[in-house]
Amino acid sequence: MRATEARALRVRRAVALGRRIADSADPLGIEARRDLGITSGLSSEGVELALTEHLEVAITDADLEALLAAVEVAPRCHVILAANVCTAALRAIALGLAASSSVTIRHSRRDPGLAPILARELGLTLTDVLAAAPGDALHVYGSDATIAAVRGAAAPGVIVHGHGTGLGIAIISDDADLDAAAQALAADVSPFDQRGCLSPRFALVEGHEDRAAAFAAALDAALRDLGDRVPRGPLDDATRSAIALYGAALDAVGERFAGPQHLVGLDPAPRTLPLPPAARVVHVVPASAASGATLLAPWARFLTTVGGAGRGALLDAINALAPAARRAPLGRMQRPPLDGPVDRRVLERPRC
Amino acid sequence: MTSSSSAPSDALHARVQAFLAAAILDPARTPEPFDALALDLARFQAAQIPAVARLARARGIDLASATHAADIPAVPCDVFRLTRVAAHPPDEDVAVFHTSGTSQGREARGEHALRTTATYELGARLWGARLLWPDAARLRVIVLAAPLAEQPDSSLGFMLDRFAALLGGGSFHLRDGALDALGVAEAAASARDARSPALVLATSFALVHLLDARRGLDLRLPPGSRVMQTGGFKGRSREVAPDELRAAVSDAFAVPEAQVIGEYGMTELSSQLYETTLAAALGKWPAAEARHGVYAAPPWVRVTAVDPTTLAPLADGDVGLARLVDLANVDSAVAIQTADRVRVLPGSPGNHSIELLGRAPGAPPRGCSIAVDDMLGPP
Repeated sequence: MRATEARALRVRRAVALGRRIADSADPLGIEARRDLGITSGLSSEGVELALTEHLEVAITDADLEALLAAVEVAPRCHVILAANVCTAALRAIALGLAASSSVTIRHSRRDPGLAPILARELGLTLTDVLAAAPGDALHVYGSDATIAAVRGAAAPGVIVHGHGTGLGIAIISDDADLDAAAQALAADVSPFDQRGCLSPRFALVEGHEDRAAAFAAALDAALRDLGDRVPRGPLDDATRSAIALYGAALDAVGERFAGPQHLVGLDPAPRTLPLPPAARVVHVVPASAASGATLLAPWARFLTTVGGAGRGALLDAINALAPAARRAPLGRMQRPPLDGPVDRRVLERPRC
Repeated sequence: MTSSSSAPSDALHARVQAFLAAAILDPARTPEPFDALALDLARFQAAQIPAVARLARARGIDLASATHAADIPAVPCDVFRLTRVAAHPPDEDVAVFHTSGTSQGREARGEHALRTTATYELGARLWGARLLWPDAARLRVIVLAAPLAEQPDSSLGFMLDRFAALLGGGSFHLRDGALDALGVAEAAASARDARSPALVLATSFALVHLLDARRGLDLRLPPGSRVMQTGGFKGRSREVAPDELRAAVSDAFAVPEAQVIGEYGMTELSSQLYETTLAAALGKWPAAEARHGVYAAPPWVRVTAVDPTTLAPLADGDVGLARLVDLANVDSAVAIQTADRVRVLPGSPGNHSIELLGRAPGAPPRGCSIAVDDMLGPP
């Protein structure tokens, strides 16, 4: 068997496991739902949503080709998984399998996600101590500080690929239907309770203040409806406090639309974009192409995905600002094709 | 040409300055009650500042009929980043202080615009004299921060500059971002030779840099010297635990630990809080109330701990987020809501002391969405 075919086969095996895990009647699906209910911090409905809608269960030939092209072959591949979103292990392991037949995984003890199930079923090694040798690939997922620490500690010759934190942004163009866009954005915000690096935290609405206000109200309604069906997981004290302070700030500068499972903040005259807590909290502002680019400039290097509704100058400006970010229609931001790392910025970063 | 807010602002500054001058002598004998003055400030601010007015409306607070300072809606610090919080137009600014930088750049920094610095300076001088130099009118001032000319938009830089001028001049040892450790050693030697006590004013990260760079330098100061440290690290140096840093500073400068005191202040406020161990050691503050980690507010500042999730006031002794009513904030927001956790301690009448407990401990982060902490640090 040719090497490329072997790599493809390993990736397809991981995806096939994804299909079984997504199936609530499959023993692996039952096991995953039980485990993630304990460790993920999501509601049971949130776990179900993640597994049935946001787990990679298929891969096209074109995406597989792109994935294999994005990953360098290595004699061995080591994967360090942080307390990532609960489905993230599948893609991370698929990337590892594309790199090597020898994959070793260190996962978060607190929040292992699907890593233990995938490792067991794929015959991969779980370990607490990674021993990467020169020439090995080391994929590390976590904060920028964690990645820097791993890089610093890696032996010379180890090829470290850092997958850091990031965020998504939603652009509602001037030709977009506001209600439809709000429904679609709610579907992007709710998965993983907005803790994914693709999760939209800001929504820029092309046009004037009244249009942004109308969109904020529509998003409030959409998140309320979705929250009824898929409640948010329990919040820790620090997050609840951050939400309270964010809401109070929005009372002063604009308006807040608060629901039991979400918060939408509207700043009608934005001077800067404050980062709202990652707990189904969306910051909505009106913007033009020029003002939107200015507002987003400080965030550009963190943007992993740009979700758009409609077409317009604002969307074009933001896309130009973040060339490495994925592009997706609203409602599809959390369903990136399995064509490489979820965060494509990693492909542009220097490797060492 | 002055704006319509100038006359009422001038009148309020005069009232506040009279309050400060009286309260520093006897908090029980002020020209008017704290609550009445605070509410007049809030009414003025709500009339001039849309953000304050909106906040009052959102809270359903009728400031016209309110009777307690606790009723004033507290403006979260973040609001100073999101909009202008000033009762006067920009062309009347005499100083605009900015919060420290983050990797989001200058535009994302909060700003506190002042129409006059007179009230700020009076409060800083009175409270500094009470807790930083209660035993001396002149001290050699050694500043481990940039001179004001290099950081004209820093409220801390402004305060340090005024302290240095007030106490007879000082030397500044952070230039173009680089710490001049040798210059600090020379200033210390000069103080030793003259047997003239010194006051070191420093940011915590500058102290860490100094300690890391001192290698054989003699930083010992003569008896009677003291050190004021302030601020966090925000990625500007390695992080050092407060007790460890204080002990190292005490050792390096040959200053008793009681004379190494912390300051708590922020750009959004016009007043400062200090640890009282120095004043207590000098017999100028009740010893029973003095310990490191406990900060005394001046009598023109009232601190309340509020519930972190409802922002409702808590009883003294409970841990919550600090809400400060600072009468010296005449032209911005008299009530400020911070994200800092505190415990308000019962103290002398008119004097609030708080135990500073840092930011709320969150659960370790989950997921890969970016967090605020990821954005901290120099631009």
